[in-house]
Formats: sequence, C-alpha cells, structure tokens
Amino acid sequence: MSIPFADEAVLLRMTAPTRENFDLPVHDIGLRDAPPRVALVAGLHGNELNGVFVLARLASFLQQVASGGRDGAELLGRVLVIPAVNGLGLNVRSRGWPFDGTDVNRMFPGYDRGETTQRIAAAVLAATDAAHFRIDLHSSNVDFEELPQVRLFEPTDVERDAARWLGLPAVIERPITPTLTTTLAHAWRTRGGRGLVIQAGHAGSLQPVHCERLFRALMDFLERAGVLAGVRLAEPEEEVHSFGPRQSFPMIAEHAGWFVSRLEVGQWLQAGDLVGYVYDGFRGDLSAEIRSPVSGLLSGIRRQPLLCEGDLVARILVRDTLTAMPDTYLMGHGQ
Amino acid sequence: MQRRRETFFSLALPYRERLALERAVFTGGDGPRIALVSGIHGDELEGLFVCHRIAARLEELAERQPGALLGSVELYPALNPLGLDTLERSVPIYDVDLNRAFPGHAEGLLPQRLADAAMRSLDGAALVIDIHASNVYLREIPQVRIARGFQGRLVPLARAMNLDLIWLHEASTVLEHTIAHSLNARGTPCLVVEMGVGMRVTPAFAEQVVMGILHVAQRLGVLDTGLKLEELTRTPLVADDGNVHYLNAETSGLFVPCVEHWSAVRSGELLGRIVSPLAGETLSEVLAPCDGMLFTLREYPLVYEGSLLARLMEVAR
Repeated sequence: MSIPFADEAVLLRMTAPTRENFDLPVHDIGLRDAPPRVALVAGLHGNELNGVFVLARLASFLQQVASGGRDGAELLGRVLVIPAVNGLGLNVRSRGWPFDGTDVNRMFPGYDRGETTQRIAAAVLAATDAAHFRIDLHSSNVDFEELPQVRLFEPTDVERDAARWLGLPAVIERPITPTLTTTLAHAWRTRGGRGLVIQAGHAGSLQPVHCERLFRALMDFLERAGVLAGVRLAEPEEEVHSFGPRQSFPMIAEHAGWFVSRLEVGQWLQAGDLVGYVYDGFRGDLSAEIRSPVSGLLSGIRRQPLLCEGDLVARILVRDTLTAMPDTYLMGHGQ
Repeated sequence: MQRRRETFFSLALPYRERLALERAVFTGGDGPRIALVSGIHGDELEGLFVCHRIAARLEELAERQPGALLGSVELYPALNPLGLDTLERSVPIYDVDLNRAFPGHAEGLLPQRLADAAMRSLDGAALVIDIHASNVYLREIPQVRIARGFQGRLVPLARAMNLDLIWLHEASTVLEHTIAHSLNARGTPCLVVEMGVGMRVTPAFAEQVVMGILHVAQRLGVLDTGLKLEELTRTPLVADDGNVHYLNAETSGLFVPCVEHWSAVRSGELLGRIVSPLAGETLSEVLAPCDGMLFTLREYPLVYEGSLLARLMEVAR
C-alpha cells in the first residue's frame, strides 16, 4: 500500500451511516522527498487526552518551524503527526471505536478490506511503516495515573538508546503478551524498525504537568533524531532510570472500600512507607493502611477512590529484580 | 440425584455488596462430570437459557429416572455477573473482555481472579461447553469453533452436539487468553459453541443444543446409555478458513437483508441492500460471491463501511 499523501494529508476517507463522511488526517511536516524520519501517533484510544493534546500542540510548533516562523529553529527532516487515530471516540469521549466498542489498538496489523477499525489500523500502519522512528503515545485508564514513561517490549539496543533520548524519568521493559500482539507497537516491531510506546497520566482528563513534560521529551527526541535544530529548552535533562520486566511491582488491594492517597507519581518510596488508606464503603471505618512492601519509584497510583478487592492500587519500580511476583502487571490496561 | 446451588467465588465491592459467582451442580454418582459455561460476555444470553433448559431436563430426570445420571453436570450460567446485570459485554469498571483474561491469577486483578476461580472449578471435567451468543450485531447458526491444534480430540465430540456447523480455524495468538484455549491447553477439553445473537434468546436453537449436550453427556458416561434420548436432528457441515467468505459493507447506511439466515444461496444472488436513511436510493447491493450456506447474518441494521454483513460457507452445488 502506498502512502496517499499527494496533495492532502489524509490517510483514509470513510462514509458514515447518518452523519458527514469523515477522514483520518495526518500532519505531514517537512520535505516529502524522503520517508519520514519520525512518526508520532496518539489517540488510538479516544479518551487518552494527554497524547492527543501534546501532538496537536507539537504539530502547530513544527508547522511554525517549517514555515520559518521560529527564529533560529530549523526542521531537518520529515515528521508525521497523527494526534488522534480514533477521532470519533475522542469526540464522544470513548476509549474504543464508539460504533461497535472495538479497541482500535487491538486491530493491528489491520486489513484494508475488513472491519471499519481494521481499515483504520491498516491505514495508520501503512502511513507510519516507513518512518525511521515511530512513537505511540498513551495514557493509562481513567482510574490510574502513570508517571510519564517509555515502555519497551523485548527491545533492540537501538530502541533502548532511543528511549533514553526522551529524557522521561522511567524506561520500562516488558514482555510481549498474546494480547499485545494486536497493537500498533507490535505491528511496527514485526515489520522491523524502531518503535517506542509512551504512557503518561490518566485517561479522561488533561494533566498539564505531564503534558509539558511530554512536549519537552518529544522536542528532545526530535533534536536527538536529527530532525530539529536550534531549539533551546529551558529545563535540564532529568535522570533516566531503566527497569526490566521483573522490576515492576504491582500493589493489589485485598480490601474494598474507599482508597485515599496523597502521593504523587515520581516519588521514591522506602519499604514500609505509607501509600494510602482504605475506609469501609458503608461504615466509614479505617479498614487498612496500605504500605509499600518494597523500596522504589512510584510509577503509578490509583486515582479512582472506589476500590474493589483485586484492584490495582499502585505500581512501584524497584532497583533489584524481583524473584517472587505475581504476573498481574501483564494486565496493564492503558495501552 | 443430588442438586445443589452454591457460590464458588466472591470478592468485595466498594460499597457493601459482593461480586459472587454461582453454579448449580447435579450429581448422580461418581461418573465423569461435564460443565456448561455461559455469560462470559454480559450481552450474551443464549447460554443462560440453555443452562435453564438443561436444569429443567435434569430435574425431570430426577423425578422419572434418577439412576440415569451416573456422573455430574455443572452449570455456570453467569461468569460475568456484573456485566450481565448491567448489560455490558466486558467486565464493568475494568472494561476488560473476560475472555481475554484467562487462565487468570488468584492474586491478580479482578478479571484475572474471576478467570482463575473458573479455571480451578472446571479443572478435570470430562468436557466443558462454553456457550456464546455472537454479539448484538450478528446472528449465528448453532456452531462450534475449534482451533486446529485441538481438533483431534474435539471434533468427534463436536459431531455429536447436534450443531449445524463445525468451524475449524487457525490458531491465533490473541486467543490464547480465552477460557477454551486455557482449558484445552491444560488437558480439559472445551468446546466453544456460538449461537443466536446478543441480548436475545432463541428457544429453537437452545432446544437443538440441549439435545446435543444430552447426547454428548451420554457418550462420555455422564448419563446412562440406557436412557432413551430423542434422535439427533443435525449433521454438521465442516467449514475452515479456506471455504468461509466474509461479506463486509462497501459503504455506510442501513443494511436490510432479503434472504433468511441459514439459507442456501446461489452465486450472484442478492442477499440484501445497504440503503440511505436520507434518500430513496440503494447505496450498495450485497451479492453472494459463491454458492453456499449463509451461516452468519447481520441482525443490527446500521452499518459503517467495513461492518460485517454476513459469512458464507462455500458449498459446491
């Protein structure tokens, strides 16, 4: 399949049953005489707003640079930016494709004669396939906040290095599960080349602090990838910590009720530190103090106060490899 | 014959209530046990009705010929009770497909705990039958779907299930998290039955499948071979990925079929039209690509470009 960018940056045009026809637009910035150096994708899930907002803002900035509107800044390569793959989902605030509830990020590699979301997936993959670097941006679900982080799935050394260019506080390696074989990141991986996944914040709303950090990270990345020059960033680079597949500790609730925590993601915890309290839903009594059983970086915290037995409360990244650990982190929902 | 109804797993919800999984167990002796599972998807109700009909047949048997039950029959009608109670396909709150959470984990997240509880309960059964009802969009003829890797053990059982179709499909990595794959991989045979449509029950399909389940139970020694059962009414066609045609919508609109589900169609025959709700025009005519049996037909009329309209098994004339 060729990249259909002749005159308009539209990847796919589709009809709709009762409303206007719709399309899947892309910002195609920079000279088009070579394959894209970087492809940036967000909004595979319509309720993950941080990535969509950051990519829309970044596209605006890059368009200004490309048109000479930013003194001293220069665009040296071609960049593709798709702020939202699931545009209808975004408009109605739905994670999945609203018509049939399918998860667009479980439809890859897609099929251009198949179901609606398979066609969308095929168009996104075809457009981004030739890019030298590709990044897929996500938030967690609406209940759980993630520290801005890079996720790698059985990566190459090139991907490990590229992940650090973003300067985000954590780079986490994870195994590939059967479910993940239908994601965009996996489709990129099987076709060769370099792909990264970013997780930041939680779905359903915008967290400006995470957005600013993401914006800065992507600017750094574009500079390191040789696409952008002459942009000075005020903030110094942060220390980047890398964590392997068995250095992620999920804290699972054994009590139900109200969960209340004052912690912020990105804090370092000592074993025994307080993570939060659980109160009985009806009686209001304190049911449990939740304390971290390990020392490490708090990479995720529950923001939904209503807690079921078996809910994820927090995720802590540890320096040493864990020996006995439930494999529950494989159920990570956001991506 | 003993009958008991019990909660085999529960966990606490935030406010006062518990999420409980229930089963009904009919035991006649030490013989083998079979289990029916349904309601993994909260919008699929056909299997709940099959469980009811099997319970009714066993209760009747308890009155008439109690010695005919040599083993056990276990009914798990609602593995996703929150989804069923709130009309949601996935596990509410989590928005996770329970049939992608197997084999689960006892100390994992809520859907994994449900999956683990089911796996532990079903372990060692002579046969598990997992009954699905398609989704709200598509109507399916009673059929069993079998991954190639398990066909040797499962096809002979499936042939006795009084179904219209056996569909052999290639293994798919993403399906490794289903209950059927998890059970089959651990040595407990599991048949996946698809029938009817979401949010509805189709009594005629249920009676057809109930008859098949009783025959299979007899074949496995759960029911006495001396028990007289009605004769099977169906001999299944066998479909595979090579003779199944998918018909996807060429454009968006309202799909109105003009043939009956499970009819024999001729190549080029008009199966339905996609029409515009804003004008009198027909936007697309849907034609049969070959001679065959229409085993899937769209029930929900609104379609987007790409929506599945029908599946046809090619059958030579």
